[in-house]
Amino acid sequence: MNEMQPVFRAFCRMLFWGCLGGVSLQAQAQNESELPPDSIYTIGYARGILKNISGSVEQITEKQMNRELITNPLEAIQGRVSGLTILKSNNGMAALESVRLRGTTSLTSGNDPLIIVDGVLGDLTMLASVYPTDIESFTILKDASETAQYGSRGASGVINIVTKKGRAGKTRVNYNGSFGVSYAYRRLNMLSGTEYRRLAAERGWSILDKGYDTDFQKTIEQTGLQQNHNIAFYGGGDASNYRVSLGFQNREGVIQHEGMKLFTANMNMSQKMLDGLIDCELGLFGSMKRDRTLFDLQKTFYSAAAFNPTFPDFPNPATGGWNQITTASQITNPLAWMDVDNREETSYFSAHARLTFHLLKDLKLVLFGSYTYSTMENAQFLPTTVWGNGQAYRGSRKGEAMLGNAMLTYQKRLGTHFLDVLALGEVEKDRFQGFYTTTTGFSSNELGYHSLQAGALRPWEGTGSYYEEPHLVSFLGRVNYTYNDRYVLTANLRTDASSKFGRKHKWGVFPSVSAAWNVTQERFMRCFRWIDNLKLRAGYGLAGNQGGIDSYTTMALVRPNGVAPVGNSPVVTYESLKNLNPNLKWEVKSTFNAGVDMAFYGNRILLSVNYYRSKTRDMLYQYDVSVPPFAYNKLLANLGSMRNSGTELSIGLTPLRTKDMELNINANVTFQRNKLLSLSGMYEGEHISAAQYTALAGLNGAGLHGGYNNIVYQIVGQPLGVFYLPHCEGLVSDGNGGYTYQIADLNGGGVNLEDGEDRYVAGQATPKTLLGSNISFRYKRFDVSLQINGAFGHKIYNGTALTYMNMNSLPDYNVLSEAPAQNIRDLTATDYWLENGDYVNFDYLTVGWNIPLRKQRFLHGARLALTVNNLGTISGYSGLTPLINSTLVDGTFGVDDKRTYPLSRTYIVSLSLNF
Amino acid sequence: MKVIYRFVFMAFCLVLGASCSAYLEEEPKDRMDEGTAYATLSDLQRNGVLSLYNYVGGYADSQGLQGTGRGVYDLNTFTTDEAMMPTRGGDWYDGGFWQGLYLHRWGVNNEAIYATWEYLYRTVILCNSSLERIQAFSVAHPTEEVAPLQAEVRALRAMFYYYIMDLFGEVPLIENSNPKPEEIVQEKRSKIFSFIVKELTESAPFLSEERSNQPGLYYGRMTRPVVWFLLAKLALNAEVYADDDWTDGIRPDGKSLVFEVDGRSLNSWQAVCHYCDKITAAGYKLEEDYTANFAVFNESSKENIFVIPMSKTLYTNQFIYLFRSRHYNHAKAYGLGGENGASATQEVLETFGYGTPQVDARFDVCYFAGPVKDLAGRPIMLDDEVIPLVYEPWKVALDVSGQPWEKTAGARMKKYEVDPTALKDGKLLDNDIVLFRYADVLLMQSEAKVRNGENGDAELNQVRRRVGMEERTATLDNLLKERMMELAWEGWRRQDMIRFGVFTQAYSCRTPLAGEENGYTTVFPIPEKVVDMNPQLRQHKGY
Repeated sequence: MNEMQPVFRAFCRMLFWGCLGGVSLQAQAQNESELPPDSIYTIGYARGILKNISGSVEQITEKQMNRELITNPLEAIQGRVSGLTILKSNNGMAALESVRLRGTTSLTSGNDPLIIVDGVLGDLTMLASVYPTDIESFTILKDASETAQYGSRGASGVINIVTKKGRAGKTRVNYNGSFGVSYAYRRLNMLSGTEYRRLAAERGWSILDKGYDTDFQKTIEQTGLQQNHNIAFYGGGDASNYRVSLGFQNREGVIQHEGMKLFTANMNMSQKMLDGLIDCELGLFGSMKRDRTLFDLQKTFYSAAAFNPTFPDFPNPATGGWNQITTASQITNPLAWMDVDNREETSYFSAHARLTFHLLKDLKLVLFGSYTYSTMENAQFLPTTVWGNGQAYRGSRKGEAMLGNAMLTYQKRLGTHFLDVLALGEVEKDRFQGFYTTTTGFSSNELGYHSLQAGALRPWEGTGSYYEEPHLVSFLGRVNYTYNDRYVLTANLRTDASSKFGRKHKWGVFPSVSAAWNVTQERFMRCFRWIDNLKLRAGYGLAGNQGGIDSYTTMALVRPNGVAPVGNSPVVTYESLKNLNPNLKWEVKSTFNAGVDMAFYGNRILLSVNYYRSKTRDMLYQYDVSVPPFAYNKLLANLGSMRNSGTELSIGLTPLRTKDMELNINANVTFQRNKLLSLSGMYEGEHISAAQYTALAGLNGAGLHGGYNNIVYQIVGQPLGVFYLPHCEGLVSDGNGGYTYQIADLNGGGVNLEDGEDRYVAGQATPKTLLGSNISFRYKRFDVSLQINGAFGHKIYNGTALTYMNMNSLPDYNVLSEAPAQNIRDLTATDYWLENGDYVNFDYLTVGWNIPLRKQRFLHGARLALTVNNLGTISGYSGLTPLINSTLVDGTFGVDDKRTYPLSRTYIVSLSLNF
Repeated sequence: MKVIYRFVFMAFCLVLGASCSAYLEEEPKDRMDEGTAYATLSDLQRNGVLSLYNYVGGYADSQGLQGTGRGVYDLNTFTTDEAMMPTRGGDWYDGGFWQGLYLHRWGVNNEAIYATWEYLYRTVILCNSSLERIQAFSVAHPTEEVAPLQAEVRALRAMFYYYIMDLFGEVPLIENSNPKPEEIVQEKRSKIFSFIVKELTESAPFLSEERSNQPGLYYGRMTRPVVWFLLAKLALNAEVYADDDWTDGIRPDGKSLVFEVDGRSLNSWQAVCHYCDKITAAGYKLEEDYTANFAVFNESSKENIFVIPMSKTLYTNQFIYLFRSRHYNHAKAYGLGGENGASATQEVLETFGYGTPQVDARFDVCYFAGPVKDLAGRPIMLDDEVIPLVYEPWKVALDVSGQPWEKTAGARMKKYEVDPTALKDGKLLDNDIVLFRYADVLLMQSEAKVRNGENGDAELNQVRRRVGMEERTATLDNLLKERMMELAWEGWRRQDMIRFGVFTQAYSCRTPLAGEENGYTTVFPIPEKVVDMNPQLRQHKGY
């Protein structure tokens, strides 16, 4: 420590001397002009200034957003917000697989934060309809005391997006455009055709040698071109303003045929009416997205890696079709698989209107209504070359959401007292419906899914439709009181009623309270002039969750369960098909949070620390229950509890700031912990408990069906998602020159791979520590920005290596080039292939140049930038990349199993012009 | 004025409250209220009775009595000397699952056993719900209307209990749809056994005498001959089923077990004969051609008693056994898919006399061995189109990885006629799956007679003559062999081996487990997860 002190002092001195002033209130170092100290924050329904806020509210404006290479709006804040994890689908397409604020707190799917765009409530899919450059700001609410305003919908945090509006003044036009190229640069190092042939000769195997040397992983790749354009027109006068923007994105993936086209339109208009009595805001946004994606990632990449490399990369000239290897039944010719056509079309339309009545000087009535309509159409064709008899699928899903609320707000300042009161009533009605059809028995592959009649048969189970119409009613009261700008108290009371719950349990009451102390305002703080801001916060609140559960669980209903023969005719019969739970109720999460915000030396050092601890009770989940007493093995019920806690640390440093130069370093670190406390509870007056071990993710592929191939489990008393594996003591000779995994007999009595036997908890799938960092440097008109993300404390199961190191799979399935030397002949899943998942990823590097414009009449600003995306990753992980799913609890959680994309890099040139 | 305000306010609250609670009720449109689904007699029959037949077959793992994988059939077949699933390099290791079945190392957490348990009990509970609905319906309707429905569901439930008891021994007896946790307690195997016999005996008089294997009103349903067949099976295995401690080496004597049959008291073996005679009297007989029972259109069989109706266009039931046994190129030659798995054991080859001049005629009907031909009679070639596909029956072993015969070891399943128009890689086909048939009735009767000290040659040789084989003396040893040959791939082997006391003995590629000789592996363990979730359940001895 003593050696460190001079360094530390020097560092402080440097900071101090570099100090030239400037104001910023967030932990993100930023420019004073962008964010005046009393800037208005949108805190849910309420609006307030920072010193009156008693919870953790992070607002990110355009200046702090990631600017380049953004497909989805949330990428603009990736790495900028502590506790925010974004799992992108790894093909670079717009869709996000999951987003977590402060980790996974529920076992149901209600874990994604609430997304609000200009007051319209939606989910992750709505994000695709907003063009990133149309966004003015993000506000992130994490503390229960603030999210409680949204009751059940805010339980997993809230991300509020405000799009840009027109401004009074001249009419303006903005253009943003970019052009990029992406290509794959690294893939698995499998045996080449020559090596494969040589090995077979050495070991005396008869192989199917077609005489070629093909790297099928390369043959399915393509160079992906992409372009993005966005143009916005805006302007206005004193009484009204408008902004209209149009956006277009066209992206190609790095694997053949992968691509996405997105068209967005966004219109905002506001007008003052009746002498300023009424403010009227109208907004429309819509989008149309067309995707062509890979069908079955595992099949694609498993086939590309393991297919016999002596086969040619062109079709059989005699038949015109692709040669297959029948003995490798779990894979297919990867080039034949490229003929699979899998498309999705998503369209989104949303209209909203807000009327603000200035009833009295301090009293406002706000009426808000929105209607959102979305459709998703899927089409899929599996040709007869890769799928027996061929198969076509068409499906259409439609969602509508109607929301209306009325809000009264009263804001009053009386001397040193400030009072802000809000009352709100809200109704929401959703409607989801859809249908799908599958046909098979194709005599030709020509028409694909465009002609479902081309398939001779429509299997009964391949067709279906559904309809759901859940309703929600809510009331909210909120009081915010500030004394002398120093002491802030906020209390919310929200009640929600959902039609999905049992008759006696529809209503849920979710109160919250928080307090803050602006220490800097105190007289004694005048001695510490170098402290610009010091604020202490604490809060406690409840939030409900009903996310992801289906309608009708509480009602005794029947559905078609099959076709039974009656006489000579088939008759559709009905059955309940799931366990009934009439007492279904709200899942409740209680959170305590405390934090401190600090700013020193003219805001050159910003520090923000937040701690939270939440407990989820009556956890809604499809529990594994026993048959008997239940008829079905899953029961949607409120049992169990889970605890989440964490500390978030944000640091913003501006060590250098002169007229010509500025260096900003922002970093946020999140330490998160999670523990599944219980999976048992009361159901209809009886204590029931769910299964002790529930497998979440396992391995697939040849020789890996069923058996002991479960890897990640949900175990009571452990974090959600732990590796529960047999222990491998090392490799032992199998007596024939090969090696097998020596499995430890952990509990005595012989080796048994079953749950509860010779297995142990070997680590967790979710990172314990997350890091996000951005370093930016400006010199005159040039700027450089580097984004770094990292995750630590978790593990990854390398199922890819387990499979491709198994020499037993030769010659039907190719192996890694290092496999023959190790000569492992075993496919048993043990901790041998459990690896450390820590990584630091250099997300992107951008170099920008603000083009000097001398007294241009029309052009007011121009910027040119070059971005390199996916610079590289530092990691000890032996697989392709440690950036796998370590967030979303599904069948791929924590397991790298033959489905990883080749590593790719993207170069992008972008131009923005302001007229 | 104040009163008026208050009144207005209250009225407002009332309206708001009323509209709110109505607003918060859901109105399902894509599913039906239970009240509507069982309103009339025909609704009740369709949704309360026929609906249950959807669970006799299946299309997902562990669902259905036959046709699917990792379920009742596999537990009764791949644990025996009849069939094995050799590990073939990268294929069929599956975490040691198949080897575990063959070696009787299945453990208490085996997922397939757990899923099979869940499937069987789910069906039982759904039967219970149906019985309760029929009961509720009967309050306002004449008994003669509901009695046949009640009988049919009771008989169906008894059949599922028969499978549960056969596989798991001492199990809970649940007779309602919503049992309390304290009701989940095990009953002695003999008690479950008597319950099944009682249920079947009591429901038989109300059931139709029609054939169940032929299209018509009773196609695929529980009819009287099906129940008789089950009763014969139960009586034949009575020594096993009435044995409450199967690990003590002592079994009750079938001659002293008493069955009350049609007003007479019979011992087990007499009861078997009694029910077999009833089936014969009902007109069931052997088909002249053994293969007619397994043809694509086998609905007209005079021999089949109970089948899973199959139709690739009408029903969802699948039959994956041909698919998972045939070599890839073999299946491809038929225009179907294959997974190159299930093979006959060496015992099968020896019993049939494979490779000897005296080979049983049924071998060629039930198995593919040696070179194979496509439907046009041309030899089937491997991928290189040079080497012909030749199955090597004697090379079968638990793990043939890395051997030159890795992909070709083992004789494969034939038995069912190839349906070249089958869908889903050949899993969706038109051959009805045969669960019970008359040849088994004859073999049961022969065995019962032998066990009762009588001569069973006539019945045995009726079966043998049909396939043109020379006559044999009906001894227990010959009967066990005959059952392996006649009923190959039909899912009876585990039960037969247990009845004959050889299930825990060594057979090819298998040495008995330590302590297995006491017979603990003759029942599967209660799945550990079920034991954990029902604290009153006790795991069987030995597990």
